[in-house]
Amino acid sequence: MTFLSLLVFSPLLGIGLLAWVRKTETNMIQWIGTAATVPPLLLSLFAFIQSVRGFPLERLDEAHHWVRLADFPFLTDAAYVIRYELGIDGLSLLFIVLTAVLGTLAAVASLLVNEEKKGYFMWLLALEVGMLGVFAAANFIWFFFFLEVTLVAMFLLVGKWGGFERERAAYSYLLYNGFGSALLLVVIAVLVARTGTANFALLGDMLHHPVAEGQLIAPLTSEARHWLLGGLLLAFAFKLPAVPLHRWLIRVHVEAPPPVVMLHAGVLLKIAAYGMIRFGIGLFPDEFRAFAGVIAALGVVNILYGALLALRQHELKHVLAYSSVSHMGVVLVGLGALNEAGIQGAIFQSIAHGLIAALSFLLVGVLADRWGTTDIRRLGGLAASMPVFSGYLLTAALALLGLPGLAGFVGEFTAFLGLFAKKPILAAVGALGLIFAAAYSLKAVLNVTFGRARGSQPPAGQSEPREAVADLRMNEAVPAFILVALIVAVGVYPQLLAGQLAAALETMMNGLGG
Amino acid sequence: MNLAWVVPLFPLCSFVLLLWFGRKWKQTSAYVGIAATLLSLLAAFGVLVSRLGGATYEANWTWMKIGDATLTVGVSVTALNAWMLVVVALVSWLVHIYSQGYMAGDERFSTFYAYLGLFTFAMLGLVLSPNLLQAYMFWELVGLGSFLLIGFYFYKEEAKAAAKKAFIMTRIGDVGFLIGVLLLFWQTKSFDYDDIFRAVGNGTLSPGMTTLTAILIFIGAIGKSGQFPLHTWLPDAMEGPTPVSALIHAATMVAAGVYLVAALFPLYEASAAAMMTVAVIGGGTAVFAATIGLVQTDIKRVLAYSTISQLGYMMLALGSGSYVAAIFHLTTHAFFKALLFLAAGSVIHAVHTQNIEEMGGLWRRLPWTAPLFLVGALSISGVPLFAGFFSKDEILAAAWTNGSVGLFWLAVAAALLTSFYMFRLFFLVFAGEARHRHDGAVHEAPMSMTAPMVVLGVLSVAAGYIQTPWFGSFLGEWLTDGAYHHEAAPGWIAVVAASVSLAGILLAWLMYGKRTVPRDWLSARAPYGYELLRRHYYMDDLYRSTVVALVSSISRLLGYVDRYLVEGLVQFVTGTVNAIAAAGSRGQNGQAQTYGLVAAAGLAMLVVIFALTGGDWL
Repeated sequence: MTFLSLLVFSPLLGIGLLAWVRKTETNMIQWIGTAATVPPLLLSLFAFIQSVRGFPLERLDEAHHWVRLADFPFLTDAAYVIRYELGIDGLSLLFIVLTAVLGTLAAVASLLVNEEKKGYFMWLLALEVGMLGVFAAANFIWFFFFLEVTLVAMFLLVGKWGGFERERAAYSYLLYNGFGSALLLVVIAVLVARTGTANFALLGDMLHHPVAEGQLIAPLTSEARHWLLGGLLLAFAFKLPAVPLHRWLIRVHVEAPPPVVMLHAGVLLKIAAYGMIRFGIGLFPDEFRAFAGVIAALGVVNILYGALLALRQHELKHVLAYSSVSHMGVVLVGLGALNEAGIQGAIFQSIAHGLIAALSFLLVGVLADRWGTTDIRRLGGLAASMPVFSGYLLTAALALLGLPGLAGFVGEFTAFLGLFAKKPILAAVGALGLIFAAAYSLKAVLNVTFGRARGSQPPAGQSEPREAVADLRMNEAVPAFILVALIVAVGVYPQLLAGQLAAALETMMNGLGG
Repeated sequence: MNLAWVVPLFPLCSFVLLLWFGRKWKQTSAYVGIAATLLSLLAAFGVLVSRLGGATYEANWTWMKIGDATLTVGVSVTALNAWMLVVVALVSWLVHIYSQGYMAGDERFSTFYAYLGLFTFAMLGLVLSPNLLQAYMFWELVGLGSFLLIGFYFYKEEAKAAAKKAFIMTRIGDVGFLIGVLLLFWQTKSFDYDDIFRAVGNGTLSPGMTTLTAILIFIGAIGKSGQFPLHTWLPDAMEGPTPVSALIHAATMVAAGVYLVAALFPLYEASAAAMMTVAVIGGGTAVFAATIGLVQTDIKRVLAYSTISQLGYMMLALGSGSYVAAIFHLTTHAFFKALLFLAAGSVIHAVHTQNIEEMGGLWRRLPWTAPLFLVGALSISGVPLFAGFFSKDEILAAAWTNGSVGLFWLAVAAALLTSFYMFRLFFLVFAGEARHRHDGAVHEAPMSMTAPMVVLGVLSVAAGYIQTPWFGSFLGEWLTDGAYHHEAAPGWIAVVAASVSLAGILLAWLMYGKRTVPRDWLSARAPYGYELLRRHYYMDDLYRSTVVALVSSISRLLGYVDRYLVEGLVQFVTGTVNAIAAAGSRGQNGQAQTYGLVAAAGLAMLVVIFALTGGDWL
């Protein structure tokens, strides 16, 4: 079956078509670019619905012989064979659906991008292929390949279509993430060299159970495992990011075009969370315990550091960037708890923040488009001129601060529930972040939408607002509505997602020893 | 009873519909809201009647599974929440009707009704919750409703600040609540009230943990119910439209805190320390807020402080172990405070100011509002035969029989202050001559506004007779499922209560009615004390200069750390790499001499190393 390959690579069709379109036909480019994101969306939704109805996802696994790295007579034939392998479980499926949904919405929101639209969409679609592939990959080599695709695509999208300081932001992104990737490559290389396989499932088996003769070139000592896990976690800490490795995130959030940030904050950051869960807990459950305390503490630091810094920002994008840092802290808190509630909370937080960040940046894009600024000191009282927009922005703020009934609450609540079982005092300190989250979200959003009407005069040096008081247009309102609907759906009935996670989580908990 | 879940559903539908179609429906929106709450009220009555059988009903649905644990949401109908449903739905319905007149002509009329629907939905959902998780969720939604309504006049900077403050101040309490709930979960493996009570009963929950969680949850109640020291948002919340104040102060929002403690009563009863905390905070707040109420000049702020004070009474009752007295006072207070706010709204509607110094002489001009306000004032002051008298008397009796003499006298003092500031308000607004010329003719409010007030006026008297020493303790029997036994309190308590209330009225009359005592009696004798009260004990300033200042300086400090230290480290790393690269590339200058020099130096270095180590390493 080639279902997953189709799902992952279908946006390539769009790239191929775009190559034949003239640069000046921006309408056509927009249509093709958006349409190219639809096949993965439909396929992933189909897979999700099938999975809810009880279809076993393993049946979608794909494997083809690809390369043989080495041939040792004393090892089995399967050793050092790298195959093209895709496969998903409930966990990766959730992230794939998230990617596909945000991919389409970001493509729609890209209507606001006007320069070099052809190249922009080609890279945007490449980025989507990379992201889908990361979650669908069933072995380390392909995981890494797709991860690097996202790195390159993102670098170019930021560097070419970004804001004023785009190049600096792009290099900053490349530097940090490249370093993380390099570290990850070392870990992967050692693992593959020692075990002769890159397949996740096989690796999991080999690391956990005594292996048969002729399978393993050399056993991995406990010390080696600790080092490998440490490297892995550090690599993903660059990409999450964990404080103090977060500076690149701030620049990218501010400089990248808002539709790209929808994908960046929405999906790319979650790859780190996914990696920590899938590889950290999945492959090194026993060693993970040793790191759990540090991870939880780092999570609390992330939460408070991000929230306190968000509190003093004047640029809405900065507020959201630091809030991303804070929210990723909740993921770490959940992982640090290392129990069912914690891990489930980390996953929920990833999905929820993906939706909420996408909504926020969709709206930020609108704001930048209408007023030429997203500085909260220059805006105010927009609820009068843009009531629908303001309503959505307030909803985004409420979701950010973790209002029950919206998705963010489920993630935060569950992650903290997990940590309270292990480290109640640390968890209580982290919970203070909820107060700061309320403070910075409301401060930012109320300054924009409430109060005296400001922002009618574009500041010096800025272009005239294109349509002084145009509220959300259809192409903005529909994505915003879809995102809000999803945020509400997850918040009101989280079992919808939790049901899909149950099997994957149980496997992980078995690895952790109950 | 198994249809209890429809009670909160109607206002939710009203919220969704009005958000979607409101701008098209305009003034018709009011009818949607009124109809929805009326249906809720009828359903709530239905629930109350079917609860008469005495059976407690509970239904649960899966919300989320975590491993083997299943978190549920559901509805439960107990004596307490069946009663609360009716009170909440009734007050909300009356406020919906009243708002039709008060908010007429407002540009965002339908939005207002949508928010009212959300607010009512949240409160009804909270009341029906069978577990703490769901209670916490609705608890926060109640906060959202009040936030939206307080900030309804979004273009006013004050409203913006007040809404933000209300949300953040109550959030501080909410975090305490959340921590308490999460701790309880790991102790009892459940969020269900019943499971928690069972754990308290059979000792699974250690005494220390009981006290800790009870107090943490009480912090949430302090925030929501505007108790000291998290009360400062409540007076500012007066920025919202007046019907909202009535709703916030009577049956929703602030009542939520009292309701929560009442719903968790078995947990509190198990810990003497927690009970003491509740009683002391309550009693202290009752007097504290009442003293501030003495000198305020904004009609709504006086009422706001009186709410804080009255909620203190309810907490005192709970802390003294009298659950029935607290719910009794919650009920009577819901009626007379809603009445007072609606009447105040009617006054503001007529004279377009909230400053009582600019009012006066309105008795004849507002023939409906004035007597109704008087009824409310008499009731809250605890004048015999009015509802407030009976419920306040119950609380005083509870404090006395509980043996907390200090708290008892504190409550008596608060009663004196209450009747004084209420009648100060009454005389300044309605008695004497108009002190200010108001634009346009002062006219009585339309029927839609007076009718709900009349209903509340009747209830402000009648509600007292559900629990009296004379006719029977119907409410007590109801809430305890017939197991009620009234602790005989000494008869003199009622006499004391009645006399202090009359004394307060008399004093107010002397100062503001007859004016035999000069009005600046206090400000002339104790200017600093007066200023202290006028500025609400400088609580806002205190917070600004401590907590807020601390957080913002930490935030600023971290800003520097982020910009210079973290960024600096990265610059250092990249700079080092760059410098090495630059040095290396400088060597590549294409001159044979340089290369020769480097090669020679390298050779020399190798020779030295070779000589020093003896060449073994080769």
